[in-house]
Amino acid sequence: MSPLRDVAQLIWLVPALPLMALALVGGRVLLGRAHGDAAEPLTARLCGLAALGSLCILLLIDLGALLYGAPGYRLFGAWFASGRWQATLSFLMDPLALAVATVAALIGWLVMRFSANYLHREAGFHRFFIALCLFLAGIQLVFLSGNGLLAFVGWEMCGVSSFLLIGYAWERPTATGNALFAFITNRAGDAGFLLGLGFAAAWLGSFEWPSLTAPGALTMLSARLLAFGFIVAALAKSAQLPFTPWIARALEGPTPSSAIFYGAVMVHAGVYLMLRLSPLLAQVPDLMAGLVVAGVVTALYAWLCSLVQTDVKSALIFATVFQVALMFVAIGLGWTTLATIHLCLHAGWRTWQFLMAPSWLALAPHAPRPAPAWLQRSQLLYTAALERFWLDRLALVLLAKPTAGFAHDMQELDTQFIDRVVGEPGRGDPVQADLPLIAADGVPGRLLAGVAQRCQQVEMHLSLRGRGGAAELALRRMGLWLRTVEHLLERPRYLMMAVMATFVVIL
Amino acid sequence: MDAPADLPLRERLAHWVEHLTHILPAQAPIRDFVHHNTLHGFQHLPFADALAAAHRLTGATPYLSEARFRDYLAQGRITREDLAAALDDAGIPALDEPIQHGLSRRDVLLASLQCDLQAACPERRKWLADEGMDSDEVAKIAHFLQSTATIAETPAVKGDWRSESGQRRTALWARLGRDLTWCGLLEHLTGEDVLDRVRTVLQRHLAAHLDLGMAAWRNPLRERGFYAAWRACAGLDMAWELDELPSVRDEIAWLPEDAVDLLAEELPRLIPDETLWPGYLECLALELPGWSGMVLWRDRHALSGDDMPPVAVADYLAVRVLLERLLVDDLLRRLTGGPTPCASLHDWFADRPAEFFVRDALRQRTLDEETLSAALRLCRLGEAAHPDDGAWQTLAERIGPSPDSPLDRARLVVLLAGPLGARPADLAAWPATVVDALLACATSLDALTRGQVWLLAYERHYREQLLVALAANQGRHRGAAAPSAQVVMCMDDREEGTRRHLEEIAPDIETFGAAGFFGVAMYWQAAGDAGRTALCPIVVQPVHVVEEIAAPGEDDALRHQLLRRQQRAQWREALVQQTRRSPVLGPLFAGLAAVPALGALVAGSLAPAWWGDALLRWRERRDGMPTTRVAMTAEAAAVAPTPQAPQAGFTDDEQAARVAAFLRMIGLTRNFAPLVLMLGHGSDSRNNPHRSAYDCGACSGRHGGPNARVFAAMANRPAVRARLAAQGLAIPETTWFVAAQHNTCDDAVHWYDVDLVPPARQADFDTLVAQLAEACRAHAAERCRRLASAPPHPTPWQARRHVTGRLHDISQARPELGHATNAAAFIGRRSMSRGLFLDRRVFLISYDPTEDPEGRIVEGILLAAGPVGAGISLEYYFSTVDNDRFGCGSKITHNLTGGFGVMAGAESDLRTGLPWQMVEIHEAMRLLVVVEQAPDVLSAIVARQPALQELVGNGWINLAAKDPSTATISVYCPRRGWLPWSGPHVLPQVGRSVDWFAGERDALTPALVLGGVA
Repeated sequence: MSPLRDVAQLIWLVPALPLMALALVGGRVLLGRAHGDAAEPLTARLCGLAALGSLCILLLIDLGALLYGAPGYRLFGAWFASGRWQATLSFLMDPLALAVATVAALIGWLVMRFSANYLHREAGFHRFFIALCLFLAGIQLVFLSGNGLLAFVGWEMCGVSSFLLIGYAWERPTATGNALFAFITNRAGDAGFLLGLGFAAAWLGSFEWPSLTAPGALTMLSARLLAFGFIVAALAKSAQLPFTPWIARALEGPTPSSAIFYGAVMVHAGVYLMLRLSPLLAQVPDLMAGLVVAGVVTALYAWLCSLVQTDVKSALIFATVFQVALMFVAIGLGWTTLATIHLCLHAGWRTWQFLMAPSWLALAPHAPRPAPAWLQRSQLLYTAALERFWLDRLALVLLAKPTAGFAHDMQELDTQFIDRVVGEPGRGDPVQADLPLIAADGVPGRLLAGVAQRCQQVEMHLSLRGRGGAAELALRRMGLWLRTVEHLLERPRYLMMAVMATFVVIL
Repeated sequence: MDAPADLPLRERLAHWVEHLTHILPAQAPIRDFVHHNTLHGFQHLPFADALAAAHRLTGATPYLSEARFRDYLAQGRITREDLAAALDDAGIPALDEPIQHGLSRRDVLLASLQCDLQAACPERRKWLADEGMDSDEVAKIAHFLQSTATIAETPAVKGDWRSESGQRRTALWARLGRDLTWCGLLEHLTGEDVLDRVRTVLQRHLAAHLDLGMAAWRNPLRERGFYAAWRACAGLDMAWELDELPSVRDEIAWLPEDAVDLLAEELPRLIPDETLWPGYLECLALELPGWSGMVLWRDRHALSGDDMPPVAVADYLAVRVLLERLLVDDLLRRLTGGPTPCASLHDWFADRPAEFFVRDALRQRTLDEETLSAALRLCRLGEAAHPDDGAWQTLAERIGPSPDSPLDRARLVVLLAGPLGARPADLAAWPATVVDALLACATSLDALTRGQVWLLAYERHYREQLLVALAANQGRHRGAAAPSAQVVMCMDDREEGTRRHLEEIAPDIETFGAAGFFGVAMYWQAAGDAGRTALCPIVVQPVHVVEEIAAPGEDDALRHQLLRRQQRAQWREALVQQTRRSPVLGPLFAGLAAVPALGALVAGSLAPAWWGDALLRWRERRDGMPTTRVAMTAEAAAVAPTPQAPQAGFTDDEQAARVAAFLRMIGLTRNFAPLVLMLGHGSDSRNNPHRSAYDCGACSGRHGGPNARVFAAMANRPAVRARLAAQGLAIPETTWFVAAQHNTCDDAVHWYDVDLVPPARQADFDTLVAQLAEACRAHAAERCRRLASAPPHPTPWQARRHVTGRLHDISQARPELGHATNAAAFIGRRSMSRGLFLDRRVFLISYDPTEDPEGRIVEGILLAAGPVGAGISLEYYFSTVDNDRFGCGSKITHNLTGGFGVMAGAESDLRTGLPWQMVEIHEAMRLLVVVEQAPDVLSAIVARQPALQELVGNGWINLAAKDPSTATISVYCPRRGWLPWSGPHVLPQVGRSVDWFAGERDALTPALVLGGVA
């Protein structure tokens, strides 16, 4: 056998290498070893090597795939299981996965190398590389895993690292606010993903992509529900309508992170998910039509918005969303090969364009061709495009504000009612005016104070009232009785009787 | 500012806008970045006063942090003697007044400067005590001090918050229109920034209006000005309804057509007192300094080009004022539960002293956690439920006025004890009055004065080193009898290194320094350029234009090259523009370009130097390298040329005048070498929006090579030489002027008009080329010591390779370090500084005092170079001390906007000033200018030149004089005049520069270089 065939067994290293780099760099930071200029090269080299390692393994597998055919589905073991379903560690290396993963690995390695210089002496240098490694591991899991559950783990890793890097400049309230906005919007997509996974567990008992996409495994209705969940996930991750606003607000991070996340790789994760599930989608033509509609509307939206953008990063991001929307249209029309090729080439080009964003003035010194005249005249459309069709304000009004209001009400309820009922330590009122030492707050506190008082009364009544109290007399009488019994038991005949009685009881 | 009140508003507004130029950032669109004093508008004030004024107005910290200065003290970069002398320099009164036991005020202040006086807030103090990080000593001494206190310390009297509430209210309202807007005042009281609701879209509108060519679709009404364009959009904007401001749309529909009318309507509603209007508008503009500054710049500088809508500050201010009024109205409605005009808010709070007191206390950041959350809750309820006064009063009682904690006094005693060399207990045991006097003295300086003293000490330390170096270098260099070449470079601090290395390599070469436009102020139009660029200091408006043309017989080659270049640029532009804007071509182009783009990224990432060079070579081979000439001779003088219609070329007389004036200025009037090299400079880098900030400041942030080339071409013309000879400036026929450009980023040299060098000079020329290349490599090695990613002990060749890679590397946020090391300027003969290692920290300007007894020449130099040097040094100074406010923060999140500036992230204020990457190693001090001239001559010059009076008299630069006849040095103090300087004359000696800097990473002290002296 050729070693090129065996190299597919190493596929798990592709996401694992960045994770190892992450662990090492994280360990250095935790141990306080990551300070000053001297600590930077090691971090950058570790992460760069991990990214290069992933890339090389993928390239070797690609070569093997070209020579001997794609390795396909590989099962590496069970992760955990419950009832009739099982979570496995499996990878799927078909041409689609290998192509996209290789492009992502190449871009990941380039961005790692770019960042080593670009972020020199930044306070968040090591933090940035940790987040980037987390992303690389996550995105490779999404692209390469053989089942939905593992892909979801990667999906979440991407979400978390994206949140961390949008909030890179955490001293700026705008940056942290936008990080939160993006994070929360993406949770809607996660809900869709989980929905799909849940249905898969219930109806198929498996998360493996091959069984999800096997024709005829599901009824029409089940297939539709399952696909719907994944489509929501894809639309959210790839910033299609109605989720588009998050991506324009996500450009707060350093330029290389904007490039790899929103320009090049992560924005295509939704497209990839659709491509991966395209056999499933083919079973539900109405959802395919829905994809086309979503893609066309998003493309129109992104095109109109991109025309009015005045800053480089926003202009590029809307252009990116436009082309991603075209990919959704292509998938909806069933042109999956075209969409795959478009995805890979688009990712490559946007990497260059985002990384070169600071040189826009040198690259394009002249104004772009003006918008069509009919568009130029419409004040209303212009206002709408400049306001990005009010989508993020709508999200604020419809979702964020009611939630915040609810939270405030809950807090009021908490402080005004629950806290008072439950009581807080250290702030009670005296239960009795003449006994200031005993203070109680809240219902349980007062209850306890009441019980304590009762107990104290009993104690006072029974024992503390000194000699001659009722309790003392009773106890003394009881002691007398017990002593008599003891005396009797010490005599042998009674002892024997007791032993025999015991035997009788036992028998 | 003080426009007569009876003028119509429109004219008064013009005055006020004029005043805005003093306080707003004056940065031009980013491709024309030129260094200037960040606080140029305050230059009429003495330095310390100006900094205090800027601090009041913007809240920026104008000095380095005390912690940093204390670090310098620990490192020996500042000594205690420096600090003691700085107290004198700062003019602190009664320094020798005794306090106790031979302790003078000076000693106490000196000790106090070494302590961190910032008291911890009660919560933190509690935390420190709980964690056991506060020493017991403080508590003990606090107890002791309390027991011995003579004056009854006013214990915290609960209940008199009412009077304090009234005082604070009056104080807060007094700030309105001085350093606070309604927006700021209400943010103080409610924690809500009303501008937040509209800031994003306002910034989008501003960027769209100011756009220099980013957006494809622009506001249909832009030609009618910002106000009209904004109004048309705002009238259609659904955001008002979404923001629960439905009435706003109606109001916008009825707005007056004219911005000034709107201001006349709205300003009285905000501020009834007309005298506060200018101040109020200033505060308003300063809330978004970057955007306001850019609007103002565009208002002042009409840009040519199509689709440049009119920009007026009045439009902008009208929109800001209107938004402020609308949003403040809304907040007041929510706050008070009914429509409340701004003017009556003061009375509203006067009726609710408790509420005001609590709201105000909330922002003082002194409340403990529990009170804080209770206060926050009340404030939040305030909008919805309007809690009764009782709740506020209960809380106000609880807060009470803040007492002076005895712990603070005790902490101070413990802190002071260290530097005073006493035990804390001994200090505390002094009579109570003495302890009081001690503490009063220790805290008598405010934060700004302390900063000033530290700065003076810091500057003094470097000044002493430098003056010792000058004294030690006196008379070491005698000058070469027959120099092999003379090299004239830019005065730039970066060229100090090049000159030093060149002199070490070729001791028979003489070097000169001058402002890098070499006295030739001109518009330059290189072959293939669409427009012309001014190559001269920013204050000069050239009236001559020089074009680059093909050499005879090279027309076709040049046309071929230009065509190729143009095609390439068009393709590149089409690629980046269409992939972002075209629905059809976009995907197609992106698909086609993806593989080459990834390939370029891989190559550029693995071997930036090789890849960059390969691309350049490939282009040269493809395009050819046609020979060009400069068309700088005019047949006859044009009639009254203007900057708009400049004269093409210079006449013979004009050329002779420029050459003669320049050569006289640098003192090169005899003993001409066979070759005179004019070496301009520029800086090239990739992926760098701030590129022109690295370029030649004397050429308005452009490359200075063309000026050198034109100068050399002029000086070689027989007609000019004849005129010079007639003026008594005989240049021998054997002397040939050559020109070149030094790239300060990769230390490459580009030679001009090499084919014109006469055969007789060819051998000399070849030697010079080799010597200069070697010097540049040595210089690159010296630069590498400050670059963290450079090899630690590079050979000159390795270093050159490294800096070449930096130039081509798109990931490099620091292609070079620019003027980050600038600290001083020498105006005098090179003999003054030749053979000194000055660590690339000194601007070197050549000037021969022996030819200029009356100081006419030095007057011109000071007038030209003073503002340029001060502008560079002060911009670096301010961007360093408060990079957030005066600078533009870190480059890595920058987002190029509208072709005119950068924002941080997806949206922010426009960021002006220098990025943090440019200033991180800068040592923030004022420029020390040492002039080789008699002090009284300099005094007379400063006295008769208002511009210099401002710079020198107000202490924006420090001045010292080295008398050419006696070699004594004096230092100028704006308060005390010329002070004679004396100090040691000894300095470490090394053979070559490299022996001194090898292996060192930080700033280095001067040293005598034996190799550099002829």
